[in-house]
Formats: sequence, structure tokens, C-alpha cells
Amino acid sequence: MDGEPRQRILEATYACVARWGLSKTTVEDAAREAGLSRATVYRYFPGGRDELVDAVVSWQYLEFFGRLYEEVHGATSLEEVLERGLLFARRQVLEHEVLQKVLQTEPDVLLPKLTVESNRTVRLISGFLVPYLQEHGLPDGLAVHEAADFLARMILSYISAPGRWDLSDPAEVRTLVRVELLPGVVKETQIVDK
Amino acid sequence: MGSARLQVVRDDVHERAAARRRIPADGSDPQRVRLADAALSCIARQGIAKTTLDDVARAAGCSRATVYRVFPGGKDGLMSAVVDTEVARFFSALALRMGAASDLEDVLVAGMNEAAVRITGHPGLSFLLEHEPEVILPHLAFSHMDDVLEVSSTFTAPFLGRWLDHDEAKRVAQWAARIVLSHLLCPADGVDLTDEDRVRRLVRTFVLPADGSETHETTRSTATTATVRSGGVEGIDRPSRSTRAIKGEAS
Repeated sequence: MDGEPRQRILEATYACVARWGLSKTTVEDAAREAGLSRATVYRYFPGGRDELVDAVVSWQYLEFFGRLYEEVHGATSLEEVLERGLLFARRQVLEHEVLQKVLQTEPDVLLPKLTVESNRTVRLISGFLVPYLQEHGLPDGLAVHEAADFLARMILSYISAPGRWDLSDPAEVRTLVRVELLPGVVKETQIVDK
Repeated sequence: MGSARLQVVRDDVHERAAARRRIPADGSDPQRVRLADAALSCIARQGIAKTTLDDVARAAGCSRATVYRVFPGGKDGLMSAVVDTEVARFFSALALRMGAASDLEDVLVAGMNEAAVRITGHPGLSFLLEHEPEVILPHLAFSHMDDVLEVSSTFTAPFLGRWLDHDEAKRVAQWAARIVLSHLLCPADGVDLTDEDRVRRLVRTFVLPADGSETHETTRSTATTATVRSGGVEGIDRPSRSTRAIKGEAS
């Protein structure tokens, strides 16, 4: 494993988490996996195990949304961003083996960390959506940040728990976007199909 | 959902405070509820992990043996009773507010506002969210959140049924529950759902422009109104009918 030590430690810790879970992974494990000394791990993560595990969750979380960004950033319309994003993100959640395993075995450890991250992510997604919303044109009296915030938190919510929507079905995603996401944030005439 | 339970809650509203603690909100015997309430007061002070059956017995003014007689399973059974009792009270309060609403906007505002007030003002929940989030948060994410959405929309959809057909009522109810949960777990700047006016703005801005109600048909594309009262015959609980409506196939 090459790369700068911090990244190397994160990757090694992730491998340990995949094998043993969040609670059982130790600094010792991570150091051994990375081929570094414990002292080196502590130099990068002075808080030890807790800091290391938090950093791995944050890193994977950002990776997840990085992939989502890669998937949607070329989209040319708000509809396309939302549809492609929801389809892709939901598939990523279901196919993420480590996430699914930890959700099964250690939800009590993972969820408080994810909740902290999601507050940050609402702002990230919201910021990404602002230009699309501006291009689309908003209904009178609705500020762009308010619309973007609403969309962002709804997106996060559907990715985590789609409820009655089958987000593996592009037709349903399309409906969801047109029924629950767009009507409030764009001028009415624009959601009618071409 | 018996009318007896609703009657109980109506009494609750009139008698308020002290009497409220004695109400068999989960339909079981008063002793169970009294102990559940004692446990809740302990949880609100010190959380679940630190609460012992001795604490609960002391708070209820009874012996430890009594607690065990009522809850042979000990702490787990007692905690389930707390959850059952509080969930029943929560939905009863929602029913009371939503049942009094006179149009679709009001029923949504009432439900969402009442839910936010009850949840944020709940002594046990707020302690746990702050000090023992690991106990609460797993129930409000991923597949467990799907369950919460399903239960809450099954309960609240009938209150929307006066203005929306079965399928739309279920969908909008779940959507409203999702919006409330999202704002409670991840508060947005300037969006306080315990403020009724703020909820109304949220409902008017984001929810009503998308619903299929007759009230708003004049402001919507004509196709969407086709979802109203078309009867819940086929495809119940699937969003398929809305698909057609939004795509304009119905027009």
C-alpha cells in the first residue's frame, strides 16, 4: 500500500472495520494492516482509536458523496440531477457491503456518527443544487437557499429510507422527483412533460 | 384504534397535567402505565442505561417486587411498556389535532406541528437524543426509518382521506412524516416546526403544490387532479397512479 501515511492508515482501518466492525478495530490492528508503527498512527490520529474510527466514517461518507457527485455533475437539468442521483445513491447504499454489515451489527455505533455527518452533507448537497435551481427559476417568494435546503434534506432522507418508493426503478424515481421534489421548487409549467 | 382510546385522550385534554400521568394510554392496566410513567421520569433524568428497577420502584412509590410482578421480564419489558405508552399518547395527540382540521392545509399543518411539538418537548426523548443517541438514532434511519414512516403514515393517512383518495393520502402522509423527521434530526436554519406559522409556510411552499387535492386544482396542471377520489382500486399503496397523473396521461 503506497500513498501518504494518513490515507494509508485510513484505508487500513477501513479494511479492519470491514473484517471486525467499528467497535473491535484497534489502533494496533490498523497499524499492522498499514505496515506502520503504532506511534505513527498516533502521530496522525492523536485521539487514538475513537478519532481513527470517526475519521474512517467521515472519509467513507465523503467518498460516497464524491461518487455521487461524479455521477451527477455533468447533468444538464435539475430533473436529471435528482433522478440520476437518487438511482445511483440508493444502489450504492444497497451494494455497500461494509455499510450494510455495520448497519446490521453495530447500528448503535454507526448512526450517531452518520447523523453528525448528514448535517454537513445537507449543506454540501444544497450548495451543489443552487446553480441548477437558479437556472430553473424559482416560484415567486421562494429563496434559492430555502429550496435547495429542502431538496437536499429530502434527497438524504430518500437515500437512507425510500419508504414506499422503489428507487431501483427509474420510472418510480422519475415519478418521485416530479411528485415530491420538483413541484414546490420550480415554476409550475416547467414540470409538465415535454 | 378504538374510539375508547380517543375518548380517554379527550378527557386528558380537559383534565391536563396531573391526571394525564394516570391515563392507560396503551389500553392496559393502570399499574403498568403508572410504572411506565415512573420509568419515563427516570429516563428523562438519567437516561436508560443508568435507570434501574430500584429507581423506577422508588419513583413509582412501590416495591421492587411489584415492578417485577407487573414486568416479569424486568427492564426490557418495562422499556417496551414505556415505548408503547408514549407512542399511543403521541398518536392520540395527533388524532386529536388532525381530526379538528377543516381543510387539507390545516390537517397537514396540525399533524406536522403537533408531531414536532410532542417530539421536541418530550422529556425522555430529548435526554436520550442528547446523551444516549445510540439508543434512538438506529430506529430513525435506513430500514428502521422505513418502518417508522410506514407506521406513522398508516395512522395519519385516514385523516387526509377527507380530501385525498386512499393512495394519495398514504403517499402525502408518508411524505409529511419524512419532512418532520428530517427537520427534527437535522434542524434547518430558521425552520422551527414547533412554530405553527413556519409549518404552514413549509406546507404551502413544498407540499401543497404537489398534492392531488381538489382544493388546489385550480393552481395545478389539470392532470394531477385526476388522482383525486379516483378510488383506491388497483395498485393500492403504489405511486403508480400519481405517475400517470403527473405524466399527463390522464388528461
